[in-house]
Amino acid sequence: MKDYLALNGQILYWTLLAPWRGQFFKIGEVFHQMVLIGVRALPMASLTSFSIGLTLAMQAAGQLRKMGASQFVPDLVILSLLRELGPLLVAVVVIGRSGSAVTAELGTMRVSEEIEALEVMAINPIRFLIVPRFLAMMIMLPVLTIFGSYVGMVGGWSICHFALDYSTASYILHSFERARPWDLYSGLIKSVVFAWIIITIACHMGLRVEGGAEGVGQATTGSVVWSLLIMLIANATLTALFFFA
Amino acid sequence: MSAPRDDPAPVIEVTDLVRDFHGRKVLNGVSFKVMRGDTMIIMGGSGCGKSTLLRHIIGAMKPTSGSIKLFGQEITGLKEAELARIRRRFGVLFQSGALLQSMTVGENVALPILEHGKLDPSIVDLMVKMKLEMVGLTGFEHLKPAEISGGMKKRVGLARALALDPELLFSDEPTAGLDPIMTSVVDILTQEMTRKLGVTAVVVTHDMTSAFRIGTKMIMLGTGPNQGKIIAAGTPEEMRANPHGEVQQFIKGEPDGPVPLRLSKGDYVERLLGHPGYTRTSYSA
Repeated sequence: MKDYLALNGQILYWTLLAPWRGQFFKIGEVFHQMVLIGVRALPMASLTSFSIGLTLAMQAAGQLRKMGASQFVPDLVILSLLRELGPLLVAVVVIGRSGSAVTAELGTMRVSEEIEALEVMAINPIRFLIVPRFLAMMIMLPVLTIFGSYVGMVGGWSICHFALDYSTASYILHSFERARPWDLYSGLIKSVVFAWIIITIACHMGLRVEGGAEGVGQATTGSVVWSLLIMLIANATLTALFFFA
Repeated sequence: MSAPRDDPAPVIEVTDLVRDFHGRKVLNGVSFKVMRGDTMIIMGGSGCGKSTLLRHIIGAMKPTSGSIKLFGQEITGLKEAELARIRRRFGVLFQSGALLQSMTVGENVALPILEHGKLDPSIVDLMVKMKLEMVGLTGFEHLKPAEISGGMKKRVGLARALALDPELLFSDEPTAGLDPIMTSVVDILTQEMTRKLGVTAVVVTHDMTSAFRIGTKMIMLGTGPNQGKIIAAGTPEEMRANPHGEVQQFIKGEPDGPVPLRLSKGDYVERLLGHPGYTRTSYSA
């Protein structure tokens, strides 16, 4: 725990303070990591979001039809996606795909003495390796979340349009009438918090790997399990704060 | 670049170094000095603590007690920024080469140059080419470490260690896992650095041919009851003449002697027959 908090402090220092003292992180590497962490997760995040929008609309249609309230299907889809499912599902995909990859990569670098080599070359590994990954995650998870929510809406639209005879225009109109900016912002705040949780845990687990291939495997599993657990707790806490308090 | 060889101040001075791992003293009162221009060989059997000793000298590990001075400055209590300043004056060749796998050979060699100086890209390119030529690997800049052999990785590691023209070079088992020809190549490269450029070198090895070829000073760490202590020190000739049984066994490569052939604990027959004092291990497919 102490090490984890120290890592958070170091990340903040090397991201916010060190550049003012002339010690920059590599901007090019941030973009490279944005591609690895974010862009490459796009197909999986889109597929998951589309499928959830689709099934959400089907379930909602089934239940709401009984009460003669089919017109509320788009409302339910967009609110669920923006407030809860969009941020949560995209984060789950990113934990499984990108968080684990970051841990495995850093762990392998630790085992093969690459991180030690950086240290003895007087190159700070936090500045060189961690900060670009941190910034990439902090930027890309919210971006993926917005994208995922829209793709989810397309999933909802496909049911509304083809099964419930909604026109595209009325689906969009319904959705946007119901959603408030705060619904989007609350989801974005969540995704920023999730990004922080995912990348700091992934890096922490990767940097402290010991004992070869087995250690890398254990750290990767640990990274996924802890990220999920802490993210679910954070999600419940934030939902309580935003919509229940 | 470097001071004359008779410069009296030692480049490295280790005094009473102790490192305790959970009650086991891996290093137990190690003291030695390395003078400018020397090639110091640290040798000893597997697990004697020679790599641990090297890690302490480069500041990658903190000792339980004792002092380590590099270029006259105590490094054991230094902050990261101060240690970084000293680290720019030495290069380290790791056992595995420790090249960054995500970068090409050229990028690996350029890394310390780019990180510690603001040079024009064309000059960096020139420096990388020169360093790679020094280790005989011109033309391999664009390959990734995964695409070259173990010996080539070590040579790239050496080029990277020498990128900033260090005064001091550390090598951890530079010839382990290399064929005899490649071993000589790495040895000759190390010798060229020390003789032509006046670099001081510290080489951890258990390869005796290599040790006697390049070493000007040697220390040997003991195992067993002498774990973590220096059991012999001197020039290569003095080491050859050293009467200590463990030193002679090590130099000649004899299977049995002060370091026993078998390292089994307890009585074999009693273990085999399941004597009450020993637990039976159950293995299953």
